[in-house]
Amino acid sequence: MVNKIAGMLMLVLLLTGCSTDQRILDKLGMVQTIALDQADGDKLLVTASIPVIDPNAELKREILQAETNSVKEARLVFSRQTDLRMVSGQMRELLFGIDLAEKGLWKYVETQLRDPSVGFSVKLTVVDGKAGELLAAEHKPHADTGRYITHLLEKEAAGNNIPATTLYEFSRDYNDDGIDVIAPIVADGGSKVRVTGIALFAGDRVVMRVPVKEGLIFALCRGNLKRGEAAINLGDTIGKPEVVVFSSVTSKRKVKVHRMQDGRFKVDLYVSLQGSVLDYTGERTLREEKDRHELEKELSLSIEDKAEQLIRQMQQKKTDALGFGQYVRGRLSYKAWKAMDWRETFPEVEVDCRAKVKIKDYGKYM
Amino acid sequence: MNEKIRPFNLAVLVYMSQVGIVVFTLPRTLADYFGTNGWLILIPCFLLSGFNIYLISLVYKLGNGRSVFEIMEQSIPKPLLYPFYMGLTAVWMMFGCVIGKKYVLLFQMLAFPTTNPMLFKLMFDILAFMLITKGIYTISRAATMFFWITAWMYLLLLWVLPDFNWVRLTPFILQGGHNQFKGLLEVYGAFLGYEISILLFPYIDRRKKMMAAIQAGNAYLSVSYINLGLVSFGIFSSDQLKQLLYPLLDILAYIQFPFVERLENLLYGFFMFLVLMTVVMYWWGAVETAGRIVPRLKRQVLAFVLLAITYGISFLPKTIDEIDAWISFLGNITTGVAFGLPVLLITVLLIQKKGEKSGG
Amino acid sequence: MAEQHERLSLEHILHEFEDCADLTRRNFPEIGADIVYFSHTVDNLLLINQVLDPLSALQRKKELEQLLRESQFVRVTDSKTAVTGILEGGVAVFAADTVHLIDVYGPEARSVSESETESIIAGPHDAFVESATTNISLIRRRIRSSHLKVIHCSVGEISKTDVYILYIKDIANLAYVQDLQQRIERIETDAINDGGMLSQYLEDKQTSVFPQFLTTERPDVSSSKLVSGKILVLIDNSPTSISAPASFFEFFSSSDDYYERWVLGTALRLVRYVALIITLTFTALYVAVTTFHYEMIPEALLLTLAESRNRVPFPPVYEALLMEFTIELLREAGARLPTKVGQTIGIVGGIVIGQAAVQAGLTSNILIISVASSAIASFVIPNYLMSASLRVIRFGIIILAGIWGNMGLVIAIAVIVIHLCSLSSLGASYLVPVAPMRGRDWKDVFIRAPFSLLLTRPTQNRTPNPIRQKNRK
Repeated sequence: MVNKIAGMLMLVLLLTGCSTDQRILDKLGMVQTIALDQADGDKLLVTASIPVIDPNAELKREILQAETNSVKEARLVFSRQTDLRMVSGQMRELLFGIDLAEKGLWKYVETQLRDPSVGFSVKLTVVDGKAGELLAAEHKPHADTGRYITHLLEKEAAGNNIPATTLYEFSRDYNDDGIDVIAPIVADGGSKVRVTGIALFAGDRVVMRVPVKEGLIFALCRGNLKRGEAAINLGDTIGKPEVVVFSSVTSKRKVKVHRMQDGRFKVDLYVSLQGSVLDYTGERTLREEKDRHELEKELSLSIEDKAEQLIRQMQQKKTDALGFGQYVRGRLSYKAWKAMDWRETFPEVEVDCRAKVKIKDYGKYM
Repeated sequence: MNEKIRPFNLAVLVYMSQVGIVVFTLPRTLADYFGTNGWLILIPCFLLSGFNIYLISLVYKLGNGRSVFEIMEQSIPKPLLYPFYMGLTAVWMMFGCVIGKKYVLLFQMLAFPTTNPMLFKLMFDILAFMLITKGIYTISRAATMFFWITAWMYLLLLWVLPDFNWVRLTPFILQGGHNQFKGLLEVYGAFLGYEISILLFPYIDRRKKMMAAIQAGNAYLSVSYINLGLVSFGIFSSDQLKQLLYPLLDILAYIQFPFVERLENLLYGFFMFLVLMTVVMYWWGAVETAGRIVPRLKRQVLAFVLLAITYGISFLPKTIDEIDAWISFLGNITTGVAFGLPVLLITVLLIQKKGEKSGG
Repeated sequence: MAEQHERLSLEHILHEFEDCADLTRRNFPEIGADIVYFSHTVDNLLLINQVLDPLSALQRKKELEQLLRESQFVRVTDSKTAVTGILEGGVAVFAADTVHLIDVYGPEARSVSESETESIIAGPHDAFVESATTNISLIRRRIRSSHLKVIHCSVGEISKTDVYILYIKDIANLAYVQDLQQRIERIETDAINDGGMLSQYLEDKQTSVFPQFLTTERPDVSSSKLVSGKILVLIDNSPTSISAPASFFEFFSSSDDYYERWVLGTALRLVRYVALIITLTFTALYVAVTTFHYEMIPEALLLTLAESRNRVPFPPVYEALLMEFTIELLREAGARLPTKVGQTIGIVGGIVIGQAAVQAGLTSNILIISVASSAIASFVIPNYLMSASLRVIRFGIIILAGIWGNMGLVIAIAVIVIHLCSLSSLGASYLVPVAPMRGRDWKDVFIRAPFSLLLTRPTQNRTPNPIRQKNRK
């Protein structure tokens, strides 16, 4: 009897269920990409790209723009411009113009983190130039620039050359006192969008850029690679550039921290790398074991050289994007670590990079 | 039919009544109050709850498995007992009630933000009511079923393991926290729920090692909490964890399958089974206790009346902050009850034993 | 005394069967005997051999007395027995002032043929028929043991249908047998026409959507249930047997799991549990996701899904209910029509649903896929009653998902689980071996372990003799 009453109650409840919270798929304006730029005054230029769902439509996406004080406020403006309900649950990509990125991004990232409908896997990318213009530009044959950038970066990240940065990684590294944030940089390259490098942050401001050709070196120093492709230039020793092209690169990174007698820290960075050689333009013959060993050694030296150069630049800009701080922290007591300002200490750290290259194979042809 | 709760089912029942809404905030609480490697604090909590369960098993042993109500009613006069029973009923009813309300409010953050939360609360209460009125055996069966329906979710932690990094744990132990006593109480709240097992004595199979089963349930819970804590501290940086209000939701949202992603609201739904069992156990305990005051009243009517009252009260806290304040207040009282009740019973039992000896 | 005697006269019996045109009465004037019987319930050959020939051969009344003393003739003294005897296929012989009955029961019956509702690929193909005696013979053929006991009861105030309770002594729990017998004897109704109907009278909770006893028309399944310690109920005039107690998970095993290799059997069982999940939640999940939780769709699927929804004028719930309803219509129409016409229905339905509805923009093609796969999944479940129940429940889940999205889906699951937990079959939990937990039984429920591991009978049967195989090899 009581159960029957309960059942009836449930039924009544169901009938009163209201529909204000419905988000029917085809009635939504699902923002996929948002681009943020500095506008006049302290305002923000928000550009949003929304896919057009009608398969017969000529344009595959709709661009909305507004100048507002906050990103979420822009959503209110947008919803007055379209017949669709604006939602941000399908957001994939956040583009930041470089002028904004150099001033600091955290408050914009924080807004996104607060929004429960935005997931942790939204990608953050810095645009060299105006983000809104890049997003609004058309890049044939890609109908939707936002998706094009997303896929481009996904592919790059899969190749381990340019790491993609998600909301999760950004907030994780930003809130970690032993590592700094990085993000990929893209730029409008005329008919194409080009990935131009990696932005290194100090706090939430971009302070340095790693050009794309050094992306692999940077990636080797930052973490373990599972799959990568790389062209390593050994210099013009024989009158023409001697280039080794690697594929299926796997690498391991190891960091060891020592305290030197003068109180400074010394970081030993070990990088070991394996890969198959796809192409080699130098004089040596790959089939000779001796030659191969020499080549391996030369490659190691070249990597060490470039890595140390890169790290020196980072030290000048005071950005510890490789996370040495995390390891230094491991050698200290809590008090000592908190008492130290790592950002100021980092430039004084002596870094020694040791690379070890192994050529796994060199293809199926002598 | 002469059914008795068996060890496995008891262990599951205890586990299910322990794991509740707190699990969503647990990693944050740990990081906030205890700082680096806060998950370590779970180990003393586990030992403490283990000790509490040992007290309960002492009651079981000393009382030869008699119902705790019988033990108390034998020595304590009714005018003294009834207010105490009423207090117990009130605390347990309210604690269950605010847990349910918090679950609903949290869900509304993810979806259905404008629907009246009391509608969801009513739905939740009806489900709980359906279970309570069917008796403890059905509750224990449901607990086992819900346990298996939700047990696989631990495997989801495997998806975030690629982002796990030992370096992020830092070598510092419990540094950078604050107000640790308050934090301890809050974390201990995550272990509460086992104390209801003190009411289960008349329903369990006496031949088996039932007290070990309660410990096993608690141990399983602790292991899964420690797992969750460790993983959270390894994938989030310590300062980040302090800023995430519901780290578990973020972990769930981060999991992606090729055919579906952002599973947090579906999986949050699955957590309803866990929260429901916690609430049902508290309410069942409350109804049992209240049933001692009015033994003539039918249990179903009593349950209905009590649920209706608490449903009315649950209109009061409207925001998540208010609910949190209620939960931590009631949680502290419940912790007190969890330790106080077995101690009281042991005292009563010892006095009874002495009385028997001197009398005989 | 005199009154009673008068009642048992020929006139009285004829009066009792007044207006029964199928009653046959024959007269043997030489010996002053009359016989009365229903020509359609008796076996003609038996009638001739046992009654007609011997009686026609007699010349004198004395010889008749001699004949009636033979054991196949049973003397009856009260008219009620006589009437029942005639109804049950007997011939009543009225001679002088005595009445004798001889049983020559043998109505027309379908011969044993293949099962249409529970067909399997490998294994025995015979199925029960509408005669309980034939059915018992099919069981006896499989279990040649004197321990196989048969209790006879009858149900139906008017129909007086025969019901047989079969169990194996020392394996079945007698408490269950008694309980079941009492339940059968307590039934008060006009007539029971089928085992499926009988089982509903016997169930612990008649209002539930779930069948609480396993019904099957396969003798091999029935006899395997018997030897595992369950009790079998057969009812005359129905090919459906009932085995009790049953658990929810039993409905997901089929007899060919045991006839095939254990790996295959295990895989098939897992497929069926996946089918259970699909049939209950797939369409509901579609509704929940497209109505409320758009963020759950991965990017690669988003456009496909959104485009297919683009032209549909209704909210997803109505769309889904419409299609589910159409599928149910098709299924029901297919079941009612003869096979040849049924095929046409299949084609028409396929074209109408698969093509026209999508092209007309009434539904999205993703929904078609989800509705079709949940329909197919429901047919994977071997027991027809269970699969029909699940299909009905699915509508409820879809509606809940349409109102409250994922939370509705979860609430629906909670309601189902709570309901299942409160069910019992002959007083034993319906959810054995999960709740209460019986880990030992899992290897014959969720998987089908090799026979060398299946050493015990299921615990739900509470058999006094749980060991099936003593020594493991």
